[in-house]
Amino acid sequence: MTEPSRLHVSDDHLLAGLANGSDTMLEELYKRYFPMVLHLILNNSGSEDDAKDIYQETLIVLYEKVTADSLELHCQLKTYLYSVSRRLWLKQLSMRSRNGNSLVDTEDLADVDDDLTDHESRDRQFDLMADSLDRLGEPCRTLLEDFYIHHLSMQDITEKFGYTNADNAKTQKYKCLMRLKRLFFSVFKEE
Amino acid sequence: MIDHQKFTDWVDKWLRNELTEAERLEFEAIRRSDPVLAQRAREQQQLAKAMKNYGQRTDFRSRLNRIHARLDMDAVRDEASQLSKVRKLHSTGGTLRQLWQTYRPILAVAASVALITTFGTLMLVRQYQSSHKQQEQYSMMRRDLQAIRRSQNAILQDLNARERALQINPGQVAGSGFLLSPDGYLVTNTHIIQDADSVYIQSTKGDIYKAKVVYADTKYDLAILQVHEDSAFRVKTTLPYGFEAAPSDLGERVFTLGFPREEIVYGEGYLSSHTGYRGDSTAYQVAISVNPGNSGGPLLDEKGNVIGIISGKQTSSEGATFAIKTDYLFRAISSIPTDSLKNNSIRMSRKNGLAKLPRKDQIKKIQESVYMVKVFKHEK
Repeated sequence: MTEPSRLHVSDDHLLAGLANGSDTMLEELYKRYFPMVLHLILNNSGSEDDAKDIYQETLIVLYEKVTADSLELHCQLKTYLYSVSRRLWLKQLSMRSRNGNSLVDTEDLADVDDDLTDHESRDRQFDLMADSLDRLGEPCRTLLEDFYIHHLSMQDITEKFGYTNADNAKTQKYKCLMRLKRLFFSVFKEE
Repeated sequence: MIDHQKFTDWVDKWLRNELTEAERLEFEAIRRSDPVLAQRAREQQQLAKAMKNYGQRTDFRSRLNRIHARLDMDAVRDEASQLSKVRKLHSTGGTLRQLWQTYRPILAVAASVALITTFGTLMLVRQYQSSHKQQEQYSMMRRDLQAIRRSQNAILQDLNARERALQINPGQVAGSGFLLSPDGYLVTNTHIIQDADSVYIQSTKGDIYKAKVVYADTKYDLAILQVHEDSAFRVKTTLPYGFEAAPSDLGERVFTLGFPREEIVYGEGYLSSHTGYRGDSTAYQVAISVNPGNSGGPLLDEKGNVIGIISGKQTSSEGATFAIKTDYLFRAISSIPTDSLKNNSIRMSRKNGLAKLPRKDQIKKIQESVYMVKVFKHEK
């Protein structure tokens, strides 16, 4: 995307585009604020890869808030992203047990405590699900992903996995789901 | 009893909104009636949601990674380093803003305290002032000569050494005074001669005599002066005016002579009250205009009897002048220790030779007995 057109897209448009899954908008958003975060991380003993990870996690926080329709922006989008990145990086630094309690700040800060608390609980759930799905193994994992994530119909699944009929597929799905349930709920407790 | 697999299937359909109306009603009924199945439905819902979130995030991550892979990192690095240049320029502003952010609550508290203290103090001072205002309203009518030193120098004639001395060090305070007796006793206000190093009196003709303070009464604010062994002072045989100790009536036309400036000044008015400032029974209130320097001047009635000594005025209102009653002059004189008078009692007369004269002639005669009192103080 060229420089002039970047100026035409407002933050509100970017957020709307993010909510309905527009790739161009996401790319635009990504380009617009990545330098700021890169600058933050590089100036606070981080690498470019750190910056990428932190920035992507920040965008995930934003994305999940936007798709859940629970984003309450009380400041500029730029300030929000900066504040979230900063907090994530501080956490990262303390995990690496470096002296990370004072960052060199260049931007205004916003209060993102609640959003990050939400994000942490979603993070736990995500990790748990990833772990459970890994342990579930194939073909259960793909079957459940196709049904619950990609929303394929039972008929599609029957054909894809070569089951003799839909009932067989349903039974298979049921068994897989019960196993996943055990794996997942053995650890997960709804807060 | 519905079997597990079928129920699970229904929950899936319910989550996907694929239940038929009849199935939905039955499903709702089962959930309401069987808490165990209801719990299983909730769990399955959670699980489905967790999987959906997982899928969503995985998908988003891969989108982000695709974008990042396409990214022109050199351009981004460029922009970031430009950012650091711009930031450095504004870094002080940023620091200030952050300090402001950090200390804003403390500042707010400090500001509140400062405000409360300021206004509290102002109010207290106000209250204090209003309770003490009336005291300040009483101003003593003496004149500070420092301010008019220059004009005085121009006016004074260089006649003799004493006057030269006066020119070198002119009086710091001046007021009025008048003769009590022909042999050189005068009365003036104590507040004029207070802390005096030396006191001089100056007649309307410009003759200056040294005087000594015989007695100073702070209670009535009356001081008795005596011309100090000065042969130049010509003792008169009688004074033109007499002293009237009996209280005068309200509305009595009165006049005064004094020295608010280098020349003698005549003022006229009427007696407006039997009591002075704040009900002070030792004084009259007189409607007469006086100025600094009038203090110590005589207050005379129509007939030319001295009925009081001008002592001050109320600053807050016009025409409220106060004069100490002659009665208290007598009391002050009688309390003078006899040895300070050197056995010369003050011979005051009640005789008055002015009663029949018109005012202009009265003044001509009286003014010779009214003196300017100049007071010299040690510079502090």
